[in-house]
Amino acid sequence: MGSKLKTWLPSTRTILNYLAAFVIVALATALAEYIYQLSHLLRLSSLFLAAVLVVAYWLGAGPAYFAAVIAFLGFNFYVLGGRTPFSFASWESILTLGVFFFTAMLTGNLTGRVRDEAQKAQARARATQALFDATRDFSASADESFIHERLAHHLAAAARGSALVHADGATFTAPDDAFAPSENLLRQVQALAGGAWPNGVATSFMDGWTLRPLYADGAALGVAAWRSPAGGQHAADEQTLLEILADAGAAAVARARLAAAAANAEARARTEELRNALLSSISHDLRTPLAAIMASASSLQEFGDDFDAATRRDLTATIQEESERMNAFVANLLNMTKLEAGALAVQRTRFDIHEIIDRTTRRHGVAHKRTIVAAAAGPDLEAAGDPVLFEQALGNIVENAVRYSPPGSTVSIACEREGGEAVVRVMDEGPGVPAHDLVRIFDKFYRSPAVNSTTGTGLGLSIARGFMEAMGGGVTAENRAMPARGLLVTLTLGLAQ
Amino acid sequence: MPTVNRQTAALSDSPARLLLVDDEPQIVRALTPALTAAGYTVETAATGEAALSLMAGAPSDVMILDLGLPDIDGKEVIRRVREWSEAPIIVLSARDLESEKIAALDLGADDFVNKPVGVGELLARVRASLRGRDRRFTAQPSVKAGDLEINFLTRRILIQGHEVRLTPREYDLLRTLARHVGRVVTHKQVITAVWGPDAQVDAQFVRVLVAQLRQKLELEPSSPRIVLTEPGVGYRLKADDDA
Repeated sequence: MGSKLKTWLPSTRTILNYLAAFVIVALATALAEYIYQLSHLLRLSSLFLAAVLVVAYWLGAGPAYFAAVIAFLGFNFYVLGGRTPFSFASWESILTLGVFFFTAMLTGNLTGRVRDEAQKAQARARATQALFDATRDFSASADESFIHERLAHHLAAAARGSALVHADGATFTAPDDAFAPSENLLRQVQALAGGAWPNGVATSFMDGWTLRPLYADGAALGVAAWRSPAGGQHAADEQTLLEILADAGAAAVARARLAAAAANAEARARTEELRNALLSSISHDLRTPLAAIMASASSLQEFGDDFDAATRRDLTATIQEESERMNAFVANLLNMTKLEAGALAVQRTRFDIHEIIDRTTRRHGVAHKRTIVAAAAGPDLEAAGDPVLFEQALGNIVENAVRYSPPGSTVSIACEREGGEAVVRVMDEGPGVPAHDLVRIFDKFYRSPAVNSTTGTGLGLSIARGFMEAMGGGVTAENRAMPARGLLVTLTLGLAQ
Repeated sequence: MPTVNRQTAALSDSPARLLLVDDEPQIVRALTPALTAAGYTVETAATGEAALSLMAGAPSDVMILDLGLPDIDGKEVIRRVREWSEAPIIVLSARDLESEKIAALDLGADDFVNKPVGVGELLARVRASLRGRDRRFTAQPSVKAGDLEINFLTRRILIQGHEVRLTPREYDLLRTLARHVGRVVTHKQVITAVWGPDAQVDAQFVRVLVAQLRQKLELEPSSPRIVLTEPGVGYRLKADDDA
């Protein structure tokens, strides 16, 4: 009853509008009086007309009619009253009133229409903003339940009431569980989500709720429902907005599912790629030395007597070297496996870095017939760690430097004490590594694209990093500063206390 | 280790020239002495380009080619050599991808050998290739492989002197294998020779035909000694001196 009465009473805003109309006409009257005092001019109706115009423009049609009446009265009885032999019933006064009314009507209607348009534009802007906010919200996450929750929130906001999203057996309500959906509604929603959607009906209504299925790519994802606070129907515009919102939510869920599927497929492809890389690397790196050993051994068996001593020596040397190479590769594979299984046993003892550099320099220099220069031994440099692992890590890095630099070029090793750490630098004169790949070279199976070579497994550097990190040290790579060319790999390890 | 009759490249007067193409120096170092001792003149190349320019300069009689080369793919080398040369090419590869071998053979390689390989087997393949090359110039009316004797003039097949009757397709298959005796023949080559180049026939037909042929030729068709299978690639008619 109370709310009905309220709708019949004019709002405070309406009263204020009429009051403002009165004030504006009063001001016009005061101004007319002032001009009359100055010049005794009596043709001041245009001033009152202007007041009506202003009211019509600012306040709309109702106050404008009101202003026309009081402006007419003010003009006739205040300004002209007693000053001219003018009567209320004269043709002139009727004409004045007519003009005032006509102005009020025309301008008032025009203003009203402009204002309506502006309000509609604002509503459209709000709807666009709501859609924009919602879609931005949806795209923030690929998590389906997050999207469902946000969809309920945005639907409730746009409906200025409550909303509910039911999908994957979960129900999300907004605003924030402020209402408990009726059992009847829940049953209906679940039935619809279960596929009991009437054929050809996109939207259905029930107990003041609007229910819309969430579809994406022809598959039903769930159901969205909303209602206005009074439980009445929404205006057509609002209804359309709400439906678009629900559809946008469904599209976001579909996108999230696709993204998840794509990520999954990518992970599978990556695993597959790694496995293939491992297989081809094992195939090549085990078979090449094996092929050399087999060829040498069978040659000695078939033709041993025909060969001269030098050839026989050369073949046996090949067998020995290739066996060592294979052994190193198998050791690397084993270590890789141990590292990955977390089964690497790390000793922590005090050892001399110079000694290991010296041994590495000699061994790799002989094996590859290359010049490996170690900076002259400085003061004692004793690190804390596992000397076996360190030697293998350094060996892998020197091996890499030798492999990726031109024959005849020099690989140099320098070491020094920096703070509490021993720092070993290995420099080559090869092509270096593209800047964006400097981190990746320590990844398993990474092979430099700059060098088109079939040798190398892409395991050595990755194992070196694994070993250094297992000892609490580290390894980094950078391209050497101009004018020098090549790669600089830095190993760091804590000093012995 | 089976024994190998150590025959030199006695098929022509001057020693046959071998071109060994492999980027792994230790393989070259290990193979060269035996190939030289077997009587061949051995040249080596570490890249595809080097191999091509060596072939262009003084064509070798046989090319032993590793597929994984640092500069150009081994298959590309085969394609480019085949544009002008019929010299036998033996693919030597650590790759165990059957598709790679088939592609190499279909591009015109004559045979393949998997790494690791003993020199005995490699030399047998080299000899088979050289025989195949010579056969192109001297038409032979008959082929002998173990107990099997094929007379192309009379189209008679003898096993230990007893005649065997073959269907036309079985005969076409055997003739194709015999043309390449000791060397591998791919499924595709068999299909082209037996059913024609445009035939829409898959490898299953070849398997069935080979099984039929083995029923007639082999003592124990389930463990063949004459028509050997190269898994995933094709078949090989056993040569007399095959390892």
